[in-house]
Amino acid sequence: MTTTPDPDAGAFLTALRLSDSFLPVGGYTASYGLEQYVNEGRIEDGDDLRELLAAYLRRIVGPCETVALANAHAASGAGDLEALLAVDERLHAVTMPREFRESSTKAGAKLCELLVGDTTDGDGNGDLENAFADAVATDATPGHYPVVYGVVAQRRGLSRRQACLSHAYSFVTGLLGAAQRLGRFGHTEIQAVLEALEPVIAEVCTRHVDDEPTAMASFAPLAEIMGMRHERAGRRLFMS
Amino acid sequence: MGYRDVAKVGLGGPVGSGKTALVERLVPELVARDYEVGVIANDIMTQEDADVFRESFADLLAPDLVAGVETGACPHTGIREDPSMNLAKIDEFTERHPDLDVVLVESGGDNLAATFNPELADYFLFVISVAEGEDIPRKRGPGVTQADLLVVNKTDLAPHVDADLEVIEDDAAAVRGDDPFVFTNCKDGAGVDAVLEHVEREVLFA
Ligand SMILES: Nc1nc2c(ncn2[C@@H]2O[C@H](COP(=O)(O)OP(=O)(O)OP(=O)(O)O)[C@@H](O)[C@H]2O)c(=O)[nH]1
Ligand SMILES: [Mg+2]
Repeated sequence: MTTTPDPDAGAFLTALRLSDSFLPVGGYTASYGLEQYVNEGRIEDGDDLRELLAAYLRRIVGPCETVALANAHAASGAGDLEALLAVDERLHAVTMPREFRESSTKAGAKLCELLVGDTTDGDGNGDLENAFADAVATDATPGHYPVVYGVVAQRRGLSRRQACLSHAYSFVTGLLGAAQRLGRFGHTEIQAVLEALEPVIAEVCTRHVDDEPTAMASFAPLAEIMGMRHERAGRRLFMS
Repeated sequence: MGYRDVAKVGLGGPVGSGKTALVERLVPELVARDYEVGVIANDIMTQEDADVFRESFADLLAPDLVAGVETGACPHTGIREDPSMNLAKIDEFTERHPDLDVVLVESGGDNLAATFNPELADYFLFVISVAEGEDIPRKRGPGVTQADLLVVNKTDLAPHVDADLEVIEDDAAAVRGDDPFVFTNCKDGAGVDAVLEHVEREVLFA
């Protein structure tokens, strides 16, 4: 029997690794305001949850994080550190609630420690990675999770679209897991919500994967207010 | 300077076994011995809880050396599979206090299977109490068997819950092999010296 080398295996496995809750970047501590929705009795059933997560996808994950990730991926591919830092700065500026920024930059720093700067090769791109990792480690740049994710994904051979899809997917499963620990949702119900959200994930990635960095903006006032109220919440199991 | 440069002591164990009570006993003793100490409590439920903690150490520790870390209802994950948020907090401590000697990390109350990731804790105390049942040690939970030091707390309550300290001692010795365990009463402080001695010898002098 002969084995044919599989050029896509590395990228595919990276996508699995990055979207797996096993990745130790503290994703399980973030609810991005979901805990506050539950605290205030705004989510009662699977339909509420599906609608809320669809709104997160369309108004935050798509227009903010996907745009940041896609442009970080492009900047990494072009070896353009300036552009990469500009994307990071803009994402910081459009992420309103303090706890959202903290959850994202803490996870970003951990992903950076784990996976950035260890793929140096002859093309000089390792320099960009190292410079970026330095900037994150020294707080010269915020180091948001989608931005670091874009760099990691690009360096390990994921296409821009695959990177955006796997990131949006892991955002959804992260929040579904949070919902399950906060409320009382059955595992089959949660899977049904996930299934219903898959087309939305694909839709927002298609819509935003080619956006310019200047298009990065969020419009999710209620989610942002929930995120801010969470800072003083009567119950806090989550960091955001 | 980062989390790798400071000694880290983990305290795990079931809900209500006396982890916080032990931290409150250890901190003043460590400060009296001229160590600069930081404290992290996992699974603080409200900001008020964090404030209570900060107040009880007000005369001993800088307020920014006392912190809560929320673990998203996953206390075991926070100290075992993915300690990243605890490590990030320790990094914040060391950034502001480069002379920090030791950080005590109290896990959220958990079951008998909780163990600390060795990158988060150089030394790991597992705190159980006699009031949870005298058979706890012989269940051989990973926390009980793998901890660097097993602490059996609330010895004062033994007579009230029909727990036989001799049985606990024999069982603990059997399941721990050569590894140490101590009895404590955090109400009057009995046994706390022995805990300190272990921590100092194994972590701070190491
Ligand atoms: N009688 C007695 N009570 C104790 C002792 N140690 C702690 N307690 C009491 O037991 C209760 C729980 O103690 P904590 O120190 O809060 O326990 P914990 O392990 O930190 O609990 P969680 O953080 O909720 O998991 C409190 O009411 C303490 O005052 C002891 O040695 N004897
Ligand atoms: Mg406690």
